[in-house]
Amino acid sequence: MIVAENITKSYTNGKTVTPVLKDVSLQINDGEFVVILGASGSGKSTLLSVLSGLEKADGGKITVGGEELSEMTDKQLTDFRKRTVGFVFQQYFLLPHLTVEGNVKLGANLANNQDYAKIIEAVGLGEKSRRRPAELSGGEQQRVSIARALAKKPSLLFLDEPTGALDEETGRGILDYLTKLQTELKFTAVMVTHNPFIADMADTVIKMNSGRIAETYKNKTRKTAYEIGW
Amino acid sequence: MTVSLKDGLKLVGISIICACAVFVCTFFLSYYLDALSVREKVAEEAIPLYESQLLSSKLTCLISGLCLVLVCVVLLLFYVKLYLDGHAKQIGILKALGYANGKIALGFWVFGLSVLLGCAVGFGGGYAMTPVIYHQMDGKGLPEIPITFHWELFVCFVILPAFLFAALAVLYAYIKLRLPASELLRGKTELAKGKAHIAKKERPFLRELFWETLRTRKALAFFVAFACFCFSAMLQMSVSMMDLASATMGGIVLGIGVLLAVMSLLLAFTAITASNEKTVAVMRANGYTPVQCGGAVLGGYHIPAAVGFAVGTVYQYGILRLMVDLVFKGVEEMKAYSFDVETFFIVLAAFIVLFELAVCAFTYKMGKASIRKLTAE
Repeated sequence: MIVAENITKSYTNGKTVTPVLKDVSLQINDGEFVVILGASGSGKSTLLSVLSGLEKADGGKITVGGEELSEMTDKQLTDFRKRTVGFVFQQYFLLPHLTVEGNVKLGANLANNQDYAKIIEAVGLGEKSRRRPAELSGGEQQRVSIARALAKKPSLLFLDEPTGALDEETGRGILDYLTKLQTELKFTAVMVTHNPFIADMADTVIKMNSGRIAETYKNKTRKTAYEIGW
Repeated sequence: MTVSLKDGLKLVGISIICACAVFVCTFFLSYYLDALSVREKVAEEAIPLYESQLLSSKLTCLISGLCLVLVCVVLLLFYVKLYLDGHAKQIGILKALGYANGKIALGFWVFGLSVLLGCAVGFGGGYAMTPVIYHQMDGKGLPEIPITFHWELFVCFVILPAFLFAALAVLYAYIKLRLPASELLRGKTELAKGKAHIAKKERPFLRELFWETLRTRKALAFFVAFACFCFSAMLQMSVSMMDLASATMGGIVLGIGVLLAVMSLLLAFTAITASNEKTVAVMRANGYTPVQCGGAVLGGYHIPAAVGFAVGTVYQYGILRLMVDLVFKGVEEMKAYSFDVETFFIVLAAFIVLFELAVCAFTYKMGKASIRKLTAE
């Protein structure tokens, strides 16, 4: 379970201090699929960063599975991310000089996961495992990024606009694949998006506006990637 | 437009290497030209010494000058490439807006400024050093050599290199800019285009990353090897020069060697850090420690470093052997020369300590890489 209480975060640029998160509190249950929805600049990506231990909040308390992130040193946060967290980014962030297999091994190595080839197969890239990212389409690159995250066997998967750079068909395919995996493997997924239709796929939706949570609600039923609008 | 004056002056490495090259060439060629004018006054018994002094100034000038000019050329091309890689998107926007390759490439002339600056400093320093060097080169029976300011050297060592390097930067940028605007906008690099190397046997991930990083960034490996070559050759040579020639000459070689080695290593490691920022940021986000990241990214460079050091040792021995056996053959004052084992081990120990310190410092710096910084771009 993730519990955040009164989180604040600001960025400083010279003398200008910009508050990005203003007193944010939330709770995410284990195995939930949560969508954080908001416009550009609403603070949703920063919230994802502090919840995942990529960055420290300036104030407030974050507890993940009983571990208090706000009290952790940089070394402890590194270890926390290694054990617990997987990331999928809009820009994929694949290493261009490594093959698909090499990129997935980046995640698998941390969990001593020798079965990474199965994950590559599962994301439909078995025949392209020896190719470099530049030889793949956007959708395929994102699937590599998902495989890399899942190869770590994370209990928490954080996704920052994973379909933001993809066309509708590819985007739906990726979301469909993700939700199926999430249901099957029962990890907690926290996805940031500006697309309100994607919110219909989540268990819980957190709407953000100007660094604050504007609304939180639960969907009675989750729609599939092919039932939502785009 | 794309390259500011500030960018041009940022190439401190090139300025320093140019300064070193011009510094050495200025006083040796000045000596050569001035010594030529007193040929008739040289006593009969001093002719062999006089001839060997002339030959050694010409050779030193050629060897060090050419070697350093070559390094400058490689460095400049490397800088331009790094700049183009780092600013691919901005340049892509300009191309997409309709700016011609030639017009964008012309902006790269400012890289010649760092050459101008370095050469001017080197020339001034070299000219200021001439009384000391002339005094050092004096020998029995040699007449006093007058110090003359040579305008032709000023033009050849300061004005001409600045123009040539500016033209080279523009030409190289023009060639590199032939990529379509769409590819530049996507930030596509040459690195990502090549065929993947498939290892014969399965390796652990960090070892695989270590080899791939080294294999795909050969220019950086070259710079690391070059830096270690400079350190090894110049430091060992300087000690021998103190015995064979004079403390001043040894001191000059030592100074230039240390400066070159430090600058090259700094440049290479800075470039390695910059070009692996994304790799390290992704690794750090996933939970790799700074030490693991540093080991995977910098660890591979121990190999070119060792090669550079070994080649430097052989080079300095070969060059000194050549000078003693051929150039100074028949000069009575010349001492016997043999490989200095003690100096070799002292320089090797210093090299290991300094290289590992640099690896530690850059590992620490790389550990600060953040995926948030990349997503914010």
